[in-house]
Amino acid sequence: MQRRRFLTRLAATAAATAAAALPYGLNRLLAPPVQAAPRTHLRPPGALADDQAFIDACIGCGLCGEVCPPRCIRFHERDGAGWLNTPYINPEEKACILCNKCMQVCPTEALTEIPREDIDMGIAQIDRTACYPWVDHGICGACVSVCPLGEKAINFALWNQYRPVVQTGCVGCGQCVEVCPHPSLPIAIVERSEGTITPHRI
Amino acid sequence: MMTAAVPKKTFFLWRHLNKLRWLSLTLVFATLLLLPALHLYQTYVAAHAYDLLAPDEQRFYDVMETLTSPFTNDPAEDLDAVKGTTWSANLFGLKLSDPLAAVGQVAAGRNLYTPFLLTALIPVLFTLVLGRFFCGWICPATFLYELNTNLAVWLRRLGLKTGNRRFDRRIKYGVLGIGLLLSIISGSVLVAGVYPPAIIGREAYYAIAQGGLGVGSVFFVGTLLFDLMVARRGFCRYVCPGGALYSLLGRFRLVRIRRVVENCNDCAKCNAVCEFALDPLHDDFGQECNNCTACIAVCPTDAMTFTLQLSDIPAQGPGHLGHQYRKQRAGDADDQPRQEVA
Repeated sequence: MQRRRFLTRLAATAAATAAAALPYGLNRLLAPPVQAAPRTHLRPPGALADDQAFIDACIGCGLCGEVCPPRCIRFHERDGAGWLNTPYINPEEKACILCNKCMQVCPTEALTEIPREDIDMGIAQIDRTACYPWVDHGICGACVSVCPLGEKAINFALWNQYRPVVQTGCVGCGQCVEVCPHPSLPIAIVERSEGTITPHRI
Repeated sequence: MMTAAVPKKTFFLWRHLNKLRWLSLTLVFATLLLLPALHLYQTYVAAHAYDLLAPDEQRFYDVMETLTSPFTNDPAEDLDAVKGTTWSANLFGLKLSDPLAAVGQVAAGRNLYTPFLLTALIPVLFTLVLGRFFCGWICPATFLYELNTNLAVWLRRLGLKTGNRRFDRRIKYGVLGIGLLLSIISGSVLVAGVYPPAIIGREAYYAIAQGGLGVGSVFFVGTLLFDLMVARRGFCRYVCPGGALYSLLGRFRLVRIRRVVENCNDCAKCNAVCEFALDPLHDDFGQECNNCTACIAVCPTDAMTFTLQLSDIPAQGPGHLGHQYRKQRAGDADDQPRQEVA
């Protein structure tokens, strides 16, 4: 009797666990692949598009950081085996000013000098459920006024003069992220492929 | 035939080159510490942020302003003239890179990017002529390693034991080969992680301008301890991949140190002082001599000098002022009348 009761309980527990795990497992199976969204780890402007190619080319000399006037270029000093000593920019702390100095000083092809319009660090994405003007919590426009590229990168919505709208000309420098006053930073730099320009017209 | 040993005159300035070398090492090291500080100052200037700085930052700003104001009106732009480290630098528009950086990057990227390879051209040409001179005259790690050697001397005087083991000097060629192989496999310039001059330049910048030492400093402290406890100057002698590359490049160097056998008295001080465990007493410099001139400076009879020669100098036998040579001469001359007493 003892053994049968034990076996019954075991089977019941296993069935309950499997039933509880099934939605999670199905969800994991059906979910789109999670892409690393390195919103706080942008490569400097002019970087090779393929990150592995960038790591191949970068020799970790630190020159880009050493010429950066706002000192926005940081380095993976202690983390990441392959990333070690490679540069990144965290626009939430300090954003790129698109001065081109890092591209000029880089000795390798990791950073190559390109026109300002061709820089592709990503594209800004605005969370319209948090941004103050978008949820009608006052007027702001900080991101629009700070943008170094002007209205081809970000401007106001036509029907509401205070709601910012990102345009395709955005190169992802992150000035808007640095200046955004909202504590949860509803504006972030994402990869251009996952930018929401087309579906939501942002 | 039976002339006594006649000392040859060697150029008197070679003896003082070692001081010049220490000056050079000190200047390079001080520059590596100064450049990040200058960059910090530049960022303050560019941000027009003097009033926002903390009091100690303002003091720092004032000091840097005093230091640089004689040379520049526009620090934010003008101080960009000299940037970088010995790994890769930008001097007044001239880009220079370590040959190991070029080789490592070619291995990691598996392609040839000519503008970058050209930045290593001048160092390579210098190395072809002067041999491993970078290790003795420029490398910022050498500055600390030689101080570390002196520290070991003091520790021995205090009665502590320091390591003086010997390994095979060819290990470092293996490190270079394996490092490049791993660079090819991993696609990242791995040799940079075990190359002390690159580490020092980076860590100085991280510590001063980025607010914290990186992981390389742990490795570097490890090499210092290795040198203290296992083998004197052990990392440079046996492990350093850059030293291996420079040694290979300097195999047929033109400028060499030569022992003037007429002046040598076999005292072996040159062997004792040689940081790279070479054998100057028996003319065995090989490709690993970095022309550091320590043996010239230490030689009591001025028996070391520079020479221009592409191949290794064969062993010249015992020094003419030493006992061994005199005994040999006496043996040869037993059947002949001695003309003079040496």
